Amino acid sequence: MERRDAVVIGAGLNGLVAAAYLARAGLDVLVLDRASSPGGIALPYEIAPGFVLPRYTLGSGGLPPRIAADLDLARHGLRFIRAEGSVACFPGGAYVASYRDGIVHRRELARHSRRDADAWTRYRRDMLRAARGLAPLLTRAAKAPFGGLFAGLRAQLALADRIAALPPADLAAMLRLWTMSASDYLDDYFEAPEIKAHLAAAALIGGTLGPSSPMSASRLVWPWLSETGDAMGGAPDTLMPQGGTIALLQALTAAVEAGGGTIRLEAEVTDVLIKDGRVRGVELANGETIGAGAVLSGLDVKRSFLSLFRWKDLPDGLVERVGRVRMKGVAAKVNIALDAMPDFPGLPEGCPSLGGGLRLAGTIPAMDRAFADWRERMPPRDPVIDVLIPSITDPSLAPPGRHVLSALVQFVPGELHDGTWTVERRDALRDLVTARLAEVSPGIGKHMLACEVLLPGDIEDEVGLTGGDLAYGEATLDQFFANRPFPGQGGASTPLRNFYLCSPSAHPGPFVMGAPGANAAAEVLTALKGRG
Amino acid sequence: MTPDTLPRAEEEQMDALHDTAAPANAPDPADERAEVDPALFEEEGSEPPFARAVRTTPLHLETAAESRTNRWTAWNGYTVPRVLTDLGDEYRALRGAAALMDLSPLVKYRISGRDALAYLERLCAVSVATLDIDRLRHVMFCEGSGMVLGDGLLFRLGADDYRLVTEETHLAWLIDSAEGFRVRVEDVSATLAVLSLQGPLSALLLAELGIGDAAMLEPFAARWIALGGMPVYASRSGATGDLGYELWCDAEDAPHVWRALMAKGAAFGLRPAGFALRELARLEAGYPRAGRDYLSAFAAIDPADALPPAAIWPHFVPDPAKGLFNGGTALRSMQGEAPARRLVRLAVQGLEPVRFAAISAGGAPVGLATSAGFSPALGANIALALLDERAVRSGDLSVLAERRAGLSVGESRLPARILAGPVFSHPRRFAVPAPFRP
Repeated sequence: MERRDAVVIGAGLNGLVAAAYLARAGLDVLVLDRASSPGGIALPYEIAPGFVLPRYTLGSGGLPPRIAADLDLARHGLRFIRAEGSVACFPGGAYVASYRDGIVHRRELARHSRRDADAWTRYRRDMLRAARGLAPLLTRAAKAPFGGLFAGLRAQLALADRIAALPPADLAAMLRLWTMSASDYLDDYFEAPEIKAHLAAAALIGGTLGPSSPMSASRLVWPWLSETGDAMGGAPDTLMPQGGTIALLQALTAAVEAGGGTIRLEAEVTDVLIKDGRVRGVELANGETIGAGAVLSGLDVKRSFLSLFRWKDLPDGLVERVGRVRMKGVAAKVNIALDAMPDFPGLPEGCPSLGGGLRLAGTIPAMDRAFADWRERMPPRDPVIDVLIPSITDPSLAPPGRHVLSALVQFVPGELHDGTWTVERRDALRDLVTARLAEVSPGIGKHMLACEVLLPGDIEDEVGLTGGDLAYGEATLDQFFANRPFPGQGGASTPLRNFYLCSPSAHPGPFVMGAPGANAAAEVLTALKGRG
Repeated sequence: MTPDTLPRAEEEQMDALHDTAAPANAPDPADERAEVDPALFEEEGSEPPFARAVRTTPLHLETAAESRTNRWTAWNGYTVPRVLTDLGDEYRALRGAAALMDLSPLVKYRISGRDALAYLERLCAVSVATLDIDRLRHVMFCEGSGMVLGDGLLFRLGADDYRLVTEETHLAWLIDSAEGFRVRVEDVSATLAVLSLQGPLSALLLAELGIGDAAMLEPFAARWIALGGMPVYASRSGATGDLGYELWCDAEDAPHVWRALMAKGAAFGLRPAGFALRELARLEAGYPRAGRDYLSAFAAIDPADALPPAAIWPHFVPDPAKGLFNGGTALRSMQGEAPARRLVRLAVQGLEPVRFAAISAGGAPVGLATSAGFSPALGANIALALLDERAVRSGDLSVLAERRAGLSVGESRLPARILAGPVFSHPRRFAVPAPFRP
């Protein structure tokens, strides 16, 4: 039987990051994926010849610089492009853009409210304070209380000490951020409805909370996590890999192989081998078995436990606990190829923020209604649409002069209250999205060479992501930190010895790209070192 | 915003009839809620915010014509000259004759309404109740926690009419604090140009321009004068430690005032100067600048970077006679205890300009120099430095200076000492009448 130090199931971004870390540490790593090319949910594909975009995700955001540096990805050809914030367009023609430059950003806010332009200072301070407090918690494993005997206890006491030592004002700030709704939280700073809607919409994408849902305020912090020291006082920027996710995947693949790891495609893992409560290896669809000292799963938590094991092999209660994890699709993906740059007459010519994304949002009450539709499992009537035209900042993604457009339609239920997504309803959704796009860019329909809609159910069917939930499990506080992947089990290690989760189902979830993979690799290495 | 005296329909009708009449959104004296008058900022709508990272001041053409170096700097979103000719020459003009600077990027708020005084008493950490009309004073304002948000000059223009001039913007705090007061807060920055005429001959220059009684203007007083045919509000103020005037006028009038001053003043040694001289002069006079020497509590991402007023202005004590004011409770409870960190004036030994930032005592880091420069008045490097309280008392301070020569770097540890007072503060700045000769 073939034997490896570690086997990673799934060649997605996090699986490759974990494998690259392990290979760099000298482990003999094998990455297995059932698809014919790496990528997982970040899979890049050609919607039309020469038009490349990620099939299921929006494709914004890059790895944190720390991971890129650790894995020496620059040597493997990875470059990042900095894009300005983003633009939100509102019905009626108003828009709010975000800029990196503090002076320019304030001038932009002043178009809506002179007072709010100045309130930005305090908002930025509070966001950066929260992000700086949060960042160290995200880049290391969150231990479940009493997880490991003394280490867990010590970690818990240290956390309790830190919280107890917070001055009352800081504790109040922490509570506000973790319990309030985004809409109430923003009311404390801003008065202009467009500014509040712009900030709230950016925070809601991919989540299962509406702007007025309690606890949605904490999501406002996430764009700030990547804010670097050379910040210019404006909005946080987005870092995008040059060449898109393809380039990112190529660099990660090269990093795995440079460390001596192997990536085997078209090799589907059907079972994880378990003996005496310990994971020993994996079995492939062709019957082949591979022994492994550690098995890392890049699949979501439900699929990892419920489809890779025989349930009778799992410890008591695990099936039930995993079954209760909430994973619901909230977004549909629309991929479009364009034969020309669409025209946005409502935006000033040459607006640099367009490169960071365009959001078709309503006011906060409209977003609440869209969220309510999703809860009622209604087909969306007025969804929030997050648009990225990655070929603006990176022309290599489309033939010269042409563009690809990626759109994430927020608040699309996976299942409808009255039946299935019929062909007519799919077409209606596509028409709704193109009509909304045409509102801000009249004539965009004439430029479309191809258009494709992927519902949450399609995403589940194609890549096997439970519910088509791109967040790999709702990222609310009750399913976060020590409660991610499931309550009482924080971090990458699982109740099964030698079995780890390296997908965003584990801490820190979907917020920091690559971090679940890096955390899982760190836990594997710590465990191996402890064993000698 | 709609006047409650006129029904809306009638008002619209009147607007339609008189197209040339005041626009519908003109400030209405009957409405006293805090707000911004959008009509004041119309010129900004014409180009998108990103089109220009920095804008030009009303005096841009004048300063550009004087610039021999083409060295500019960005200040509050405006481009201003850093050095026009040569910093040494500009400094000699300032201390020996007079210098003229464009300070238009300063932020100016008009605060008016029948509760203006009560509002300002509530806002400011110092008492402003005794401020007479046509007088000004330095004020600072704090958050509820007693940490400083900003400081500036407060002018009383009329019974219920004030002007607050600050280094940074504070509109959100000014409006939020106005809750419950019948007061109106307007940002008038773009409409008001500021020329700073500083130096021993500044009173003489004004006299030569026909304002003979300018010399009788007391320090921290102001009055309307006519300069170059333009109405100018002249205040005897300026952060140079010397005699000087600041001239406040409409943006459109500013170039005429500048040209009138330069035409008459050149023969007396008046020189235009840039931002670098303003920084050097205020450093010699020992004035901290918001955003540079201290951070507004709203901008302090590390909570330790927020400072109480006593840490920035050593003589600050909350006025016991003053009633309730923002941060007052916190400041009174803080009274008597020394702040953890304090801004001090520092002199560093050495006869040539050096660069330094970190300050240490006995080898351990104790603070940093927030502004530094070579002072011709003292013949030494001086700095404003934020130091740990213990280091302030113990002394034995030093800085690590780097000097580059060719392709090598020489490091030297230079002793530093805390100065009791400002490096430059001339008695004539308080003399009445102001002297006409250096």
